[in-house]
Amino acid sequence: MGMPKGHKSENGYATVTGTNGFGYREIAEKMTEGGVKMNHATARNYFLRAMKKIASPLAEHTERDVDGLASDPRFQDAIATLMREKKLCLVK
Amino acid sequence: MKRVSHRLLSSDEEKTLAQRIEKGDNRARDEMITCNLRLALSIANQYRKSGLPMEDISQEANVGLIKAVDRFDWRKGFKFSTYAVWWIRQAIRRYIASQGTHIKFPAGSRHTIWKIDSLRKEYHEEFGVYPEDSEIADILGMSKETIGSIRRGMQWPVNIDAPIKGYDGRTYAEIIPDEDSLAHEDSIDQEILVNLIKTGFGILTKQEEMVLRLRFGIEEDSNDGSKFPVTKNELKNIKQ
Repeated sequence: MGMPKGHKSENGYATVTGTNGFGYREIAEKMTEGGVKMNHATARNYFLRAMKKIASPLAEHTERDVDGLASDPRFQDAIATLMREKKLCLVK
Repeated sequence: MKRVSHRLLSSDEEKTLAQRIEKGDNRARDEMITCNLRLALSIANQYRKSGLPMEDISQEANVGLIKAVDRFDWRKGFKFSTYAVWWIRQAIRRYIASQGTHIKFPAGSRHTIWKIDSLRKEYHEEFGVYPEDSEIADILGMSKETIGSIRRGMQWPVNIDAPIKGYDGRTYAEIIPDEDSLAHEDSIDQEILVNLIKTGFGILTKQEEMVLRLRFGIEEDSNDGSKFPVTKNELKNIKQ
């Protein structure tokens, strides 16, 4: 997913791992072990697609660009914190 | 209080004693002090209504008297009492000022406070309004920040649990806003945002959710371990 010009220099790199997170290659390995075959690029695509899905209702509400919001490290960091602290249930 | 009765010294006797004190005669010093105790007491008596124990005020007056004896210069030709009055008053005032408020000011600042107060009163009498801090600073030749800081310290402390006049028994604590707490509208906004994010989570596939957890290093849910690929042990290994 491309970033708007100047976005990276103002906001930093596109994705956030947090202190305990895995890299995309490790994620790909784990997912492959678990039966979902993927490489590191696919893992990144999965991650960014998930972020876009989470950002989409919020972007609509705040009339912001979905791609920009999803790739914003501050947004990703906030989602990570929410998932950790609020224990948002992802299991359907 | 114990009565103090010592004879008064004549000008010549004061001069002779002062000369002996200058040469290091401690007896002369003691005599000068004891003969002027009545002076110290009479000045202390003027501060009887300050609300502080009279014994303490007398002690401070004596401290002032001793300072005056040590610093008296007989060559200037003044009576000792003329000189000592200032030292005794200064000692008592300093003591009262240090006890009279919860906020402790250095002696120099207390003098500045007095100057600010006098200036404000004079200005008000002259112009009918109180001067700005910047005007006071200009007149006293000090910085605006110093004046502002001293004036903030001069304010009388308010008990926040005391009832406020005309507020039906309500206290300051009840009406002072907590600036750190979230405003009602903000907390509603936050709730809306969290709900929107939850909606977004609701449309994630299982694989996306797993990737997200792995990426953020969010550990396994103890209620449903089978759905999550990250275990606590794995996270520990990564941390190491």
